[in-house]
Amino acid sequence: MNRFKYPKITSQFMICIIAMLLSACVTQRVENVRQGGTGINEGEGIVIMAKSYHLGNQTEAKFISCVGDAVSRGQSALRVIPNQEFVDALFPWFEPRTAPAETKGLPALMARPRVAEQIESAGVRYIVWLDGDTDRVDGGGSMSCAAGPGGGGCFGFAWWQNDANYEASVWDLTGLEDTGTVSADVSGTSFLPAIIVPIPLIARAQNKACNALANQLKQFIISEDVT
Amino acid sequence: MVLENATIPVPLIDQIPLKVGARYPEVFNHFMHEEQIIGKEKWSIDLGQSNRLLFTQLFSSMFSDFMVIDADSDLDALMLDAIIEPSIDAFEFSVPSQSQTDEFAVWIRYRIKILDTAGSTVANWPIAAYGKSRTATFGNDAALQRAAELAMRDAAALIILQMNKATTIRNLNSQRTARSTESSTPLPE
Repeated sequence: MNRFKYPKITSQFMICIIAMLLSACVTQRVENVRQGGTGINEGEGIVIMAKSYHLGNQTEAKFISCVGDAVSRGQSALRVIPNQEFVDALFPWFEPRTAPAETKGLPALMARPRVAEQIESAGVRYIVWLDGDTDRVDGGGSMSCAAGPGGGGCFGFAWWQNDANYEASVWDLTGLEDTGTVSADVSGTSFLPAIIVPIPLIARAQNKACNALANQLKQFIISEDVT
Repeated sequence: MVLENATIPVPLIDQIPLKVGARYPEVFNHFMHEEQIIGKEKWSIDLGQSNRLLFTQLFSSMFSDFMVIDADSDLDALMLDAIIEPSIDAFEFSVPSQSQTDEFAVWIRYRIKILDTAGSTVANWPIAAYGKSRTATFGNDAALQRAAELAMRDAAALIILQMNKATTIRNLNSQRTARSTESSTPLPE
């Protein structure tokens, strides 16, 4: 008699299934708009900067360092010059008040004393200007916790949604032109169910946006196509 | 919270060919600002000698010949082209509980007075500088300190960018040239 054998369900497999069911929800959209040719040569690098807060930009310092780290690691890694080092070396021309807001300000900037030489010696080919931030756009639910002599616990359910919307403009300092933009819009909903013990299921929207933007930026800069 | 020795990088500029002296007010040796937020905590920031250090570093980079002078300095012997008297008109900051954000912001209103060697005011220039920093990146005390540093750096950038346009200080060089030409021209017999 043939007996049908059910697959053996291991504890690791069960943990995977539960983790997938309980995972937070993230959606992402990454796009780029190309205006000019790119490409990068040996010894050339990029610097990643936040658009000026004098213009109302709110990009977080940790997002800038996250994108810098991600661009400088992995496949097609690019040389990333630390932005504070770049800003200090070119003081005062890349301060929030003085940094050029458009590429048409670049020729005048390059004509200033020793600016072009400093940029060349640092090996900076592209400036990537980051704009955008991560906001909590919605949330709800309730949770109450209590503790007594015999122990404590929580009961309830809370959720919140974070939207991470970032745009990176890529300026070519060789051609003094705007080569295009890369954008990443990530929406993540996190959940916090609690039956005695709260179980946080966090959607890392900002982290996802960082990695998505960095990967797209690498492709954008390395690719030499003009479409 | 004490802000120790805020400095600026060496600016990429051409020096203005002037011999300039700066006279600092007493408050530049130890500037402290306190703010009590209604119904909430009290914040204080101690800039120490940071303003003195900042302006000394800035003017040393901007002018070909710079020195710090005091009330006892012999101005005739020093042969200066101009005297600069920087001062602080106002210092304000906002903390996250006020702005409902995670940011500290600092506003500093400086005043730059330029005097010629006769002691006449050539320019009286108010400047507003601004800096902000997030708590998530630096922590509370460090974020306020960073915002103050950025405001001072913003002031330095503004002074470099606008000094000559706002005060016409460079013209004092031509006045010196005219004076020295007059003094070297032999008197008619």
